[in-house]
Amino acid sequence: MTAILIGLVIGIPWLGAIILWRTSDEKPRLQHTLAVAFSIAAGFASLALIFFSSAETVIDIRMGAFFGSLTFIPDGLAVSLTAIACVIGSLAVVFSVDYMKGEAQLSRYYTFVLLFIGAMAGLVLSGSLLFMFFFWEITALCSYALISFYNDDPKAVAGGIKALIITQVGGVGLLVGALITYAALGTYQVSALLEKAGTMPANLLALIAFGFLIAAAAKSAQFPFHTWLPDAMEAPTPISALIHAATMVNAGVYLLARFYPAFVQVPGWALSVTIVGLVSALITAFMALTATDLKRALAYSTVSQLGYMVYAIGVGGFFASQFHLLSHAVFKALLFLAAGSVIHATGTRDMRRMGGLGKQMPFVRNVFILGALALAGLPILNGFWSKELILETGLANGPLWAYIGMLLGAGMTAFYTLRMTWLVFFGEAREALRVHDAGSAMKTSLGLLAAGTLTTWLLAGSFSRLFQETLPFHSIHELSTLDLAKEIFSIPATYVALMVVCLGLGVFWMVRKQATEEKETRFDILSRESFGFDWLNRQITSVIFRFASTLQKTQTGKLNWNVVGILSALLMVLIFLLWSA
Amino acid sequence: MNLTIFPLMIAVPLGASPLVYLVGRIGWHRPELNGRSYLVRGLALLAMLLSWIPFVLSWSQFAAQGASLSSTFESIGLQVDGLSLLLAAITLGLGTVVVLFSGPYMAGEVGEEKYYAMLLAMVGLIIGLGCANDLFNFWMWFEAMAVSSYLLVAFYREQPASLEAGIKYLVQSAVGSVFVLLGVALVFGATGTLDMDKIRLATNALTSNHSGLVLAGAFFMIGFGVKVALVPLHTWLPDAHSQAPSGISAMLSGVVIEAGLVAMLRALSTLGVLSVSWGTLLLGFGAVNMLFGNLMALKQVQLKRMLAYSSLSHIGYMLLGLGIALTSGQLAGAQGAAFHLFNHMIMKGLAFLAVGAFMFVLLMKKGIHRPLVVDDLAGAARKYPLAALALSIALLALGGLPPLAGFMSKWQIFVAGFQSGNGWLMGLVVFAALNSVLSLGYYAPIVNMLYRQKISDVVQQGEVIPLAMKIPLMLLTLSIVVIGLWPSLMSWLTEPAGQTILFIFGK
Repeated sequence: MTAILIGLVIGIPWLGAIILWRTSDEKPRLQHTLAVAFSIAAGFASLALIFFSSAETVIDIRMGAFFGSLTFIPDGLAVSLTAIACVIGSLAVVFSVDYMKGEAQLSRYYTFVLLFIGAMAGLVLSGSLLFMFFFWEITALCSYALISFYNDDPKAVAGGIKALIITQVGGVGLLVGALITYAALGTYQVSALLEKAGTMPANLLALIAFGFLIAAAAKSAQFPFHTWLPDAMEAPTPISALIHAATMVNAGVYLLARFYPAFVQVPGWALSVTIVGLVSALITAFMALTATDLKRALAYSTVSQLGYMVYAIGVGGFFASQFHLLSHAVFKALLFLAAGSVIHATGTRDMRRMGGLGKQMPFVRNVFILGALALAGLPILNGFWSKELILETGLANGPLWAYIGMLLGAGMTAFYTLRMTWLVFFGEAREALRVHDAGSAMKTSLGLLAAGTLTTWLLAGSFSRLFQETLPFHSIHELSTLDLAKEIFSIPATYVALMVVCLGLGVFWMVRKQATEEKETRFDILSRESFGFDWLNRQITSVIFRFASTLQKTQTGKLNWNVVGILSALLMVLIFLLWSA
Repeated sequence: MNLTIFPLMIAVPLGASPLVYLVGRIGWHRPELNGRSYLVRGLALLAMLLSWIPFVLSWSQFAAQGASLSSTFESIGLQVDGLSLLLAAITLGLGTVVVLFSGPYMAGEVGEEKYYAMLLAMVGLIIGLGCANDLFNFWMWFEAMAVSSYLLVAFYREQPASLEAGIKYLVQSAVGSVFVLLGVALVFGATGTLDMDKIRLATNALTSNHSGLVLAGAFFMIGFGVKVALVPLHTWLPDAHSQAPSGISAMLSGVVIEAGLVAMLRALSTLGVLSVSWGTLLLGFGAVNMLFGNLMALKQVQLKRMLAYSSLSHIGYMLLGLGIALTSGQLAGAQGAAFHLFNHMIMKGLAFLAVGAFMFVLLMKKGIHRPLVVDDLAGAARKYPLAALALSIALLALGGLPPLAGFMSKWQIFVAGFQSGNGWLMGLVVFAALNSVLSLGYYAPIVNMLYRQKISDVVQQGEVIPLAMKIPLMLLTLSIVVIGLWPSLMSWLTEPAGQTILFIFGK
């Protein structure tokens, strides 16, 4: 049964992808219906899979020499992330029915969405490092294809290739880790690496650990690879919600969480993870303070929140990070989709042109506020519990300076969240935008996600029990939701954090005039260039292209020079042979 | 085994070659006989299909026997081992689809019958090259193959660019051939024999470093290296591969340079005592080829030239696998190189054929003679969904994305590097992986261009792709996906080839 369900959560979306590829763009109704049907079926299969979770390998197919076995392990970590991918995936598809109405090339759009959902499930369920990398790359391909979906727009094309190249460069880290594991242990199995990590030579284990950290940072858009995510916002908004907020960008956090027990013994690894999380959380929160593009502001906030999760892993808060991952997936998908409704209605992403939209779109305003409060970390929404848990773990186990940094980040989060909400939905209308309310499919998705934002924290108890039962290498202790609530409300750190959040909100309220003005401040340049890292990306690209141009001169087209090339190569080979002899 | 069937794999296409030519020439001046084109095409296809029979039989014989098969005509020794079968498989595989594809592509060209005759001859000669076991005859097969390919490169004899490409190819290959011949002479002088197995015994018995043999090895490496397109011997390749008819571009990129590589391995294996030096040189050339090929392709806007440069980088991956195998004796390296050689045949063959199909319907049918550039393909997927999908899959597979064939063979090569436990080799693998990422920088934008919403004028006015061109595209596309999902599917071919490589180098 478990094997069948795993087959279904990967197979249903992939079958749907193949079928949708063959559908004609002349029949959009059929395409919408098929996509919704396939994604919802996958969503139900993924929910059913939760009840069959175990630490056992359920599918084991030999792939021949050097390729190991294709295995799937439906443990708590895997099934919960599969459920997030498939359920939020189906909500994003439902949302797309309204959002993508009338768009051309829907078959390409839905094909890649469904291909992505299946690949994401495969990535987290895979028990083999080779196939984890296999699915990892497929998610990158889907992400590329969907960022560049509007491919007549040069910005979308550039954003797509940037995301692809940066995540692929990072992916080399995962490749190296998988290959070292195979060379040292003779298997690609995840469980073997977790079990035998202690017996491996320390330098090899360190290479794997840091290789995976690079891969994770690139995939989760963490420092210093954080530059691709804001540019990925050229994708259609349901894609931003699904891939670039709720699922694919979590893959990096997943990777770190999955192998935490193996890598924690590597000297300096945990501290590096903490620093990556801290720096990412802070610089992108800073960039969100002055952002003017609604989707980019949300993207900065995504990187920042992912930073919280990475930080949590660095300080040993495995459960806290996964709990926040769940909360964030739900409330950030809600925020993105709500933003999508606004963008769809107004036709612009520039927050400076919005304002006062709350009156025309009350439903969207209400759910956006709900999501914003969760992002800011106010009780009793899901973001509050998970963020408090992270900060608490950080204070207890991590360095104090990092904790203070994260606390500051929480204040900035409150500031930019309120600013965003204010600019879009409140105040005076800055431009007379022709606005229509969200459609019924949009409202369905938003409503369900809003309900999730209010309630997913109640799952904390079952979540921890699931982890305890099915993750033999992670020492997780079951903690009921009630105990968690008691714990959080009984410690002073919670009140400190809440005070910082309120301070952030209060500061915004006092400076709201200046903070919503159109004039550029000197911080904007820092933000626009991602603290110089965008400049660095451009430099690397331009050096490569300049080098390529120079090399083109070697193709002279003159036969004499060509023969000179042959002779000089002969000379070089001879010199090498003499030298080595 | 008394009955040796394998010489028939060489004899059938070689024998069919003059037959096809003669049939094509009969009554060529009588316009009422213009149906002969179908006869020529049909005969060529039949010959290719018939050649599969001896191939399958000799493979099963080889598998049953577990050792190489040999046969002697007078004093000419032929031998079939894993490497010969690999070369025969890629030649027959791509040859068959290219003959089918060329039907509409070459229809009505002046000298159509010569095209098929030379193509069949080339197929037979390459298979023969893979089976030769005598150093001089080996060179003869190699030269004959080269001659057949010169004529095919310069097929459009009225176009200056095509002639220029042909001349460059001819002169540079000739320089290489002279080196090979000198190498053969040196080996013969030092060992007194031309039989490869005997040379191996003789050179292994030599105690001191024989400088003549070292020189011979250098000649082999550079001489064959011209055909393999090692950088900086590659300068003929972008012209030749882009000017030839598309079916021939596919053959040149997917089979002929690989035949050069197999020939180089065979020749160097006779000097197997120095295998570590050869391995190191292959690694060096491999690294240069990967980076150089990618950087040159990065700024290329002509599709066929871009694919030609990408062949340089893919040769680099094969060299990496072989270099790892020769320096550290890893089977994964040799087998991975063989696997990549096979996959490159499919991927690059498909890429050239798909580009050829676009050239055919967008330009040639309109009587336009110019290279196809990337911008021409804007929105092509809306009008030609199959060809666009085929080209996209070929390019993404070349870029090493799963679930496609190229990912799996690159992975196998990478495994070898890490299994060797050598830091330098691991570093080279990381370099190769980064090169794969770099290559996406030029593959991905083409795929993007194909799926644009806005259709280019050229595509708007394009004609319909004939069925005979679609079938090869479908077959190759399907193989790429199937092999990508099931990598051990080809190990019946790649494993013996890998073992043969290690065996002939005495690893």
